[in-house]
Amino acid sequence: MVVNKLKEFNIKDTQEFSYQMRKKILEMSYNAGSASAHIGGALSCTDIISVIFSKFLKYKKENLLWHERDRFILSKGHACLAYYAALNQIGVLNDQDLSSFEKDNSNLAGHPVKNLEKGIEFSTGSLGMGISIAVGLCIAFKKKKNENKVFVVVGDGECNEGSNWEALMSASHFNLDNLVIIIDKNNLQQTGTCEEILTTENLSEKFKSFNCFSSEIDGHAHAQIFKAISQNLNSPKPNLIVANTVKGKGIELFENKNEWHHSVLSKKVYDEALNSLNKNYDN
Amino acid sequence: MTIDQKKLKLFSSIGMRASFGLNCLDFVKDHSDMMILTSDVSTSAGLDRFRKQFPENFVDVGISEQNLIGVAAGMASEDYKVITTTFAPFQTLRCCEQIKVNLGYMKSKVLLVGLASGLVLGNLGFTHCSIEEIGVLRSIPNLKIIVPADAYELRKTLEYYLNHENQPMYMRLTGGSNIKQIYSENYDFKPGKANILKEGSDICFFSCGTIIGNVIEAANIIEQEHNISVKIVNMHTIKPIDREEIIKNKNFKLHVCVEEHNVIGGLASAISEVKCEESIFVKQINLGVNDQYSKSGSYEFMLDYYNLSAKRIADKVVKEIK
Amino acid sequence: MSELEKYKLSFKDSLSLKDEDVNEKLEYNGVPEWDSIGHMTLMSKLEEEFNISLETDDIVDFSSFKKGIEILKKYKVNI
Repeated sequence: MVVNKLKEFNIKDTQEFSYQMRKKILEMSYNAGSASAHIGGALSCTDIISVIFSKFLKYKKENLLWHERDRFILSKGHACLAYYAALNQIGVLNDQDLSSFEKDNSNLAGHPVKNLEKGIEFSTGSLGMGISIAVGLCIAFKKKKNENKVFVVVGDGECNEGSNWEALMSASHFNLDNLVIIIDKNNLQQTGTCEEILTTENLSEKFKSFNCFSSEIDGHAHAQIFKAISQNLNSPKPNLIVANTVKGKGIELFENKNEWHHSVLSKKVYDEALNSLNKNYDN
Repeated sequence: MTIDQKKLKLFSSIGMRASFGLNCLDFVKDHSDMMILTSDVSTSAGLDRFRKQFPENFVDVGISEQNLIGVAAGMASEDYKVITTTFAPFQTLRCCEQIKVNLGYMKSKVLLVGLASGLVLGNLGFTHCSIEEIGVLRSIPNLKIIVPADAYELRKTLEYYLNHENQPMYMRLTGGSNIKQIYSENYDFKPGKANILKEGSDICFFSCGTIIGNVIEAANIIEQEHNISVKIVNMHTIKPIDREEIIKNKNFKLHVCVEEHNVIGGLASAISEVKCEESIFVKQINLGVNDQYSKSGSYEFMLDYYNLSAKRIADKVVKEIK
Repeated sequence: MSELEKYKLSFKDSLSLKDEDVNEKLEYNGVPEWDSIGHMTLMSKLEEEFNISLETDDIVDFSSFKKGIEILKKYKVNI
């Protein structure tokens, strides 16, 4: 059965999806114990990933190798908690899989490791490589004349890596209109703000000057995400979406706090975070 | 393409790069899923004919080698038989991490072809010479490394990759034009299995790549002028190395490794590792780049400087054994 | 055989051209056969035919039938 969710936008679906994702992200982070978790960056792209997985990604659950499936690439691989949570929500990873996160000999490492049977398409984690892989896929899809799309989530700090820009030049040069790239612009990277380390201002203008189509949205407004991805570009260019987000979004105690880039969750913090998440959702 | 002596002679005269282009042109007829990716080097790889005749099987990503590897991995995941090529330093060290993650770690079926490796572009300086890459690539799991000795061995390696391989590989091409023809039409190439070019009993040479032409000449000098019996082993597959062949040669008085590579990290190191593990205590002299960047110069100048010309190889060996 | 005949035959054989295609107007990339592979084959043939060893710069500069004649003078081949 083809799961092809591109139907009318229904915010209740996507909000429920992202709420469940956040719950699982918290659980996995807590279970990881002293191995720590990249919780901030996972929460900032949760809404983006929930809209992609619940509204756009074409796949067959009973055949994860189906040739006509769309591809998702988490180029900012350290946000894998969100990826695993999404795969769990669509029934590809079960709760037992999630409980193995960062455990010894696990399939779910602290960065995604390619495992097609578990729905993990590519190994990422070394920043700046996802767009290139997407370019290769998109060129291949065009040569085979199939209509698969590729969705890539890239971090803003990740845009420091020159390799992204090589890949973007390629993506535009080859007219890859089957490529959607979303920048999770949470304005923080490991040692400080993007503004301090290497400014990522005017990203949208930069993408346009690279001859890509670019728009800027609120990365937590599901309706805006949906609209930006499904817009008709009227031009054979990749679709670049700069999504303004908040690191740690959805749980007040993590929001915009860089100490939650990669941290250990104590029981106390876990309980407080879960309460905060539930309160937000109820509201 | 019928491979006869006339064809092999042509391959030898035009050199590895042009032979690579010609053989790709031949193989694509039987492998429509072959995909060649380059970084702005079609003519330098003998691929301009390929590019014009098979544009659907050719993608040039421009001078962006890191991107090249990612694109290769993406296309390989869609079951294309991907071959990437550019000059050896840029094909390897430039995009080393991408090779590690996208090829080694993910086991993507991609053949990397490093052009003009070794010292052949010596007059352009060391930015365009490659004497480090085997040392680096050897430590990436899942990546085979093959260094063909002549254009026929190159063809055999390509054939093997297209028909049998399902993991990443690096093929290192050395030499200029007018390389020595080592093999004839009935050569039975087996990746991972070293090939004995000449039997002997006093000294055993281990070598790979077109420098073997100089080793053969040196061996003639050593045998005829000094009455020393020389064995020559073509270790074309550096990884996985043929351990059995190394062990078989444990009774020689001297082992001599000859490679157009730093003596650190390449074939000589790979052989030493096996000898240590197997307690083979045969003295080994390693001829190659002695861990320094020389001034630039012609190929002949560079080979002579690093004791890789036939005469220098012979001199070094005779001095050692006498 | 004169030097000019040897020269023309080298082009004819290595690039698989007909007699009428080998003339003063012939240049690199001017015919499909004279691409980079054809060029290397031609250079090898000329070296063999005239018993010379061409320098890299001359191989790169050898851009046409006419230019080639000029270059070969350097190697004491007078066509």
